[in-house]
Amino acid sequence: MKRFRSAFGAIVAAVLVVGCGGTNTESAPVNNTTTHGTLVENPPLRIASLDATTFQAQLSSSTAGQQLLQVTGNPTCGVDFYYLKFYTAGAKGESTVSSGALMVPTGAAGTCSGPRPIVLYAHGTQTLQTANMADITNTSNTEGALIAAMFAAQGYIVVAPNYAGYDISTLGYHPFLNASQQSGEMIDILAAARSALPKTFAASTTDGGKLFVTGYSEGGYVAMATMQALQAAGARITAAAPMSGPYALEAFGDAIFFGHVNLGSTIFAPLITTSYQHAYSNIYAAPTDVYTSTYASGIETVLPNATPIGTLFQNNKLPQTALFDSTTPQVTIPNNPQLSAQLTALLSVPNNPSDPATPIYAAGFGEPNLVNNTYRVSYALDAAANPDGATQSPPVAGAPLAAAAPTQTLRKALYTNDLRNGNWGPMEPTLLCGGDQDPTVFFSINTGTMANFWSPEVQAHVITVLDVNGTPGGPFAPIQTAFQASQAQLLQFYLSAAGGSLPLAAAQLQVIEGYHTNVAPFCALAARSFFAQF
Amino acid sequence: MKNLTLKSLPVALITAAAVATPWTAARADEVPANTFRAGIYEIFYHVKADDLQGPYVPPGVNVDLKNTQTAYFAYIRRLTSYLDLEIAFGVPPKTKTIGKGPATLGSVPYNGQTIATSKWLAPSALLEYKFLSESSPFRPYVGVGVNYTSFYDRQVTPAGQAGTGGPTRLSLTSSVGPVGTVGIKYQPGTRWSVIASYSISRVSSDLKTDTAGVIRTTHISFGPQALVVAAGYSF
Repeated sequence: MKRFRSAFGAIVAAVLVVGCGGTNTESAPVNNTTTHGTLVENPPLRIASLDATTFQAQLSSSTAGQQLLQVTGNPTCGVDFYYLKFYTAGAKGESTVSSGALMVPTGAAGTCSGPRPIVLYAHGTQTLQTANMADITNTSNTEGALIAAMFAAQGYIVVAPNYAGYDISTLGYHPFLNASQQSGEMIDILAAARSALPKTFAASTTDGGKLFVTGYSEGGYVAMATMQALQAAGARITAAAPMSGPYALEAFGDAIFFGHVNLGSTIFAPLITTSYQHAYSNIYAAPTDVYTSTYASGIETVLPNATPIGTLFQNNKLPQTALFDSTTPQVTIPNNPQLSAQLTALLSVPNNPSDPATPIYAAGFGEPNLVNNTYRVSYALDAAANPDGATQSPPVAGAPLAAAAPTQTLRKALYTNDLRNGNWGPMEPTLLCGGDQDPTVFFSINTGTMANFWSPEVQAHVITVLDVNGTPGGPFAPIQTAFQASQAQLLQFYLSAAGGSLPLAAAQLQVIEGYHTNVAPFCALAARSFFAQF
Repeated sequence: MKNLTLKSLPVALITAAAVATPWTAARADEVPANTFRAGIYEIFYHVKADDLQGPYVPPGVNVDLKNTQTAYFAYIRRLTSYLDLEIAFGVPPKTKTIGKGPATLGSVPYNGQTIATSKWLAPSALLEYKFLSESSPFRPYVGVGVNYTSFYDRQVTPAGQAGTGGPTRLSLTSSVGPVGTVGIKYQPGTRWSVIASYSISRVSSDLKTDTAGVIRTTHISFGPQALVVAAGYSF
């Protein structure tokens, strides 16, 4: 028995010795710091690696992808899609984790590796809280595919945040159109991406030193705010191209409250109100101060949401288009019946038959609606008392066009974040691109106002303004022609049997409803052409 | 063991057994109670795994294992004329996990690529029933028991990292499962013997990968079957 014990003991000992030698592959090192602009893990996750042929084949597999390729051209580089998780700050400086995309060109061509320019891109408004620009495997990530095909597949390193409040962010709200937070987040992800680049699979692709800043819609605003922030910090960019952004926020807000309701307003309203409530804590004492009782409950967390926007509409969490009450509020200003009547008229449902945008504006009225009349009137009274300069006719070039001293809290927040503020103007080449029929972010009140405000820079050719719907001319004429042809083609589609054989007016409405989205690839192409000069 | 092959081993073992002490009829109390065996395992995997689940994993991504070979050691305790207790283990083999499914993930080769390796520490304890009498030089036997498998030295290869998207931590839960064996022992003398056996065990594990905080999982049944040829010395 003694021999048995010793033999068995030897076996156990041998087993234990073998078992103690275990090691394991380490995953990406985790940062212990939460300093803004640092990565949570470095190297970051590569979600996908597509060579040029595979990326082209992937895009060609859908009609939308084929149309995109017609605008962007075929990929000349492969693209590695990295998922960045980085530390940033919320609207009140609260620390949070945010995420975004780093798209790195790959391939043997000289334009696909080595020192490459960086495009810092800000995306448009997303309603889906789970949206992730880096996830090229998700077919609904159309904007990610657009910028990958437009920039990364042509040799640009692309850096694009998902924004705080989205994806893995635990912030609990999105600092929508908050200039300081969103520009800060852009700067943070740029720093994070620069630290990730040397640790990627394509480490031979490096920051070439050129920095281009661009973005579309909300991202157009963010891009311009980032230009301002970088400029204020003394950091130089190579060139910029804000596209279709709501830059002149106060003027835009005034236009909406006075009845020029934009398409998507019932989405933007809770986003901006919640954003500014978190930032300034004074937009309302209770949501019912702003919203009708139908929608006030839960409004602060309704967007962004993991539930698709269509379902939120169906479940009556938001009205689809009815921002304002179709019953016009009666404005009563003591001892001023004339102004009272004027304001009441301005708050009525638009019905100008000669304005093609009237059906869009009018769709913003109905019942049940989102914003209550009391709140709307309070805004209108402030706008009347402290008018925005952009509403002056004719506008005064170079003047401080934003209202100097609004008093209504939402209007004050819009003023604070209006990009005419800050006593600045772009110092580097800047392209302002958009489409003048845009029903979502009005071109004239935003791009037009900025161009007018910065008319000295426009005249000095520091700023180039491009209306893709304008008469083709100049270096961007082919892009204007192509955009207008695509719109005409779309109209013909809706008139045809395949598109439902719609009457002309209905077909035109369909085209205009897709206008804001349809401008994006053409402006992005213009941005790429613009950047290629530098 | 480096130059020992499955083909050459039986010849060597039979030769060794032939020069051993000739068998003489022995009383039960003269039969040695302890035996050590050494030989070789040829391990065949019959993998059934769920498709890998987790973020950014396309459908149909699965895994397989390459068959492997390793040295076999065992201690056998004679309990009665017909029953043995075997404690078997091998030099932990380095198994190679192979990508199975799409030819590529994006543009990264996957199917057929060696994506990970790990070593298996897999001791088994078996109770074996031997047929025929103790005086018979050939004694077939069957056995049942339990296997414990622990996975260590787990590495994701560069090809695997290209697929998962970066440096990846790989974990596999340990497994406890039944094992069954059939074999035959040839013992021409008191001391030396040779055996050949075929074993089947149930080894399953929950696999988890962590790539930059992104977790992917699957459950794998490895279905290992082992052919063993070994020489034994009794004392």
